[in-house]
Amino acid sequence: MATNRSFHFLSKPTNIAPLVFFRIAFGLLMFISILRFMLKGWVYSMYVMPKFHFPYYGFEWVQALPESFMYAFFGAMLIACLGITFGFLYRVSAISFFILFTYVELIDKTNYLNHYYFVSLISFLLIFTPANKSFSLDNLLFKRNETTIIPQFYILLIKVQLFLVYLFAGIAKINTDWLFNAQPLKMWLPAFSYYPIIGSYMEHDWVAYLFSWVGCLYDILIGFFLFNKRTVHIAYVFVVIFHAATALFFNIGMFPYIMIVATVIYFKEDFHGKIVSLLKKIVHYSNNNLREGSINYSNGLVYFFVLYFSVQCLLPFRYTLYSGNLFWTEQGYRFSWRVMLMEKAGTAFFYVKDSKSQKESEVDNKQYLTYMQEKMMSTQPDMMVDYAKFLKKEYEQMGYTNVTVRAQVFVTLNGLGTREFIDSSVDLSRESNSVFKNKNWIKQYE
Amino acid sequence: MKPLKLLFLLICTVFFFYSCDKDKDNNPEPDNPFDKEGLLINYADAIILPNYNSFKLSLDSLVLSFDVFKTSASLSDFQLVKQKLHVAYLKYQTISLTEFGPAESEIVRMNFNVFPTDTAQIIANIASGTYDLSAASNLDAKGFPALDYLFYGKNSSENSMSNLLSSSTTRKQYVTDILNEMTTKTNAVITTWNTTYRSQFISSLNTDIGSSIGYLVNQLNFELDYLKNAKVGIPLGKKTLNIPLPEKCEAYFGTQSLPYAVATLNIIEDIYLGRSKAGIDGKGFDDYLNHLGASYGSGTLDAAIKNQFSIAKTKLAAISNPISVEVISNPNTVDAAYVELVKLLVLLKTDMPSNLGVIITYQDGDGD
Repeated sequence: MATNRSFHFLSKPTNIAPLVFFRIAFGLLMFISILRFMLKGWVYSMYVMPKFHFPYYGFEWVQALPESFMYAFFGAMLIACLGITFGFLYRVSAISFFILFTYVELIDKTNYLNHYYFVSLISFLLIFTPANKSFSLDNLLFKRNETTIIPQFYILLIKVQLFLVYLFAGIAKINTDWLFNAQPLKMWLPAFSYYPIIGSYMEHDWVAYLFSWVGCLYDILIGFFLFNKRTVHIAYVFVVIFHAATALFFNIGMFPYIMIVATVIYFKEDFHGKIVSLLKKIVHYSNNNLREGSINYSNGLVYFFVLYFSVQCLLPFRYTLYSGNLFWTEQGYRFSWRVMLMEKAGTAFFYVKDSKSQKESEVDNKQYLTYMQEKMMSTQPDMMVDYAKFLKKEYEQMGYTNVTVRAQVFVTLNGLGTREFIDSSVDLSRESNSVFKNKNWIKQYE
Repeated sequence: MKPLKLLFLLICTVFFFYSCDKDKDNNPEPDNPFDKEGLLINYADAIILPNYNSFKLSLDSLVLSFDVFKTSASLSDFQLVKQKLHVAYLKYQTISLTEFGPAESEIVRMNFNVFPTDTAQIIANIASGTYDLSAASNLDAKGFPALDYLFYGKNSSENSMSNLLSSSTTRKQYVTDILNEMTTKTNAVITTWNTTYRSQFISSLNTDIGSSIGYLVNQLNFELDYLKNAKVGIPLGKKTLNIPLPEKCEAYFGTQSLPYAVATLNIIEDIYLGRSKAGIDGKGFDDYLNHLGASYGSGTLDAAIKNQFSIAKTKLAAISNPISVEVISNPNTVDAAYVELVKLLVLLKTDMPSNLGVIITYQDGDGD
């Protein structure tokens, strides 16, 4: 049977070292990321300060909690990161980190980043891996045997995940604006003309084209070269150069560093073996109870992950089920590894109509939304609906009767000039935000 | 080494494509990067500093005239004080949008021009004789709007206002305290600009948060939003079901709301064009946008913005002074100006930063 053959391939015995290395590196990087997040005051500005949050469809029940809870959650995440790193109560730590991180992410669409989605997925995968079966506090504390060999299935999970991120980021770049107009890079790069040496080139169109094409090819191909043992080292050089370049040009926080560290998992096992042995020496780690042979995994788990990755492969294409230009309407845009693809900005004026007087008031968005919330809402239709529903409640509490909410929105996409974005006569507070419905009140993108 | 070869081949393909792809842009390739330092030097030396100095002179002159009135108590000196207040308030409009660096540390906007002013608070402060002008609770009981009230009053004759002021030591002291605070802050801002901030300002050549260009773009938009909302929209009743609120106008008591609104729009245009105080058109955002080849519809973005400035200025000038009267007797004229200010705001707040690559947020962007 074919499945048996592939299952056999998945159970190929492999050194556990790459997984141990990944566990330690990921835990530490997440610790730094969460700490950085807290120190920058983002817990407050994203989860405490806003009067109102933009929920994800189907996750409206995910609410922000009072300030002290939010800080406690972030504190718990820090502890969970260390638990992952040191393999201490590993499974509990991994589950806690995944749940807390994902919970925080689901509170507000404003803060959506592909990089956060990626962290949620990786931490989810880590729950299922035996990453604490070697070089872990769990082994020492609970007198467990040291595992050296695992089926490669567990390492493949992470490799496949990374591969998909790159591949879909690359596929997303195959569009006219990116390849044939070098947009949005043509608009972004000139801002860096103050850089020494390379700065003088930043205003040249050919540089924007070069960056666009190299970026697209890199994303599509890098996963294949990383997977291939003969090309992994040269591919890794490209990984470092590419992510260092993006870190230099774009305000994207920890993401480049996370990718530079995560892709080390593709190296040959003896590389990780050496690192882990060295670390064991440094901390005088010794566990003389060795486990014989490999560990098992259930077929159910394999089926589950086949399904899991299949869903991830399908999600980026769900936009084809909606009408209109994807970048313009953003229907089916998230959870698809679409990064840096467009320069989109908008201004939205909301009008609340009181049915008794038949008169309208213009809303001062600053009164209800943070700068970031307003910025994101002004280009994303689903957020406009959320906001309209919120305004309806807000104004009816103020004494307005049977309110209707409409908006005049002007959006520019990749430098084409602002134009009317939605039908300004539609009562947005009565529109559905279901992902299963097409938003036909978004104007056509010419 | 296969992947390298492959990548090299692919890059060659890119160049092939690129050389085949006739560039659709109608702007020639720039020979060298835009001179951002020149832009900032023009802003600092031809617009910001001259406006500060000019404002300072008008403020000093107001202080002097008030000192004269304090001893003379004559009606003609009082009239002179009011004239000087008008000149200083008008010149203040040209520095209001420079709210970054030194002005941001002094919080000039909030301390000089929160309107409508809290008349009850002013009266209470004067009556008690003990007040702390620097307290947050007094932000709307000082600055120009408070002087506007203390010199003009509500439906009071010039004579009675003059007498009220000259006969009350505490009232005179209150005016003096307001003027002192404004003078101190203005001097502090100008000193910092002249000693350290100017060089810092002109050497910040990036476009992210905390850069000079970022500040300018932000404040330009803040000021335009302020003009659209506080000076025109709110009095017109835009936020209150079209019920006009004339008392929310700037300079409500001295009835100079229109010239101040016009001055605000003019300084926004000055900054956009890089037009000096003397009226000479230097390097501005218009040149920067043209250099980058920013387009709008079938023309340039610059042309669209200039055109919108011209329409907005015309519509604003069509309103009779003061706006507080017009929102009741001529709301359509005010509304026509409002509509054009909204269009201008969209261009300056959305199109311009998008083309300049100005980042206005601290949060991480979506990475890759």
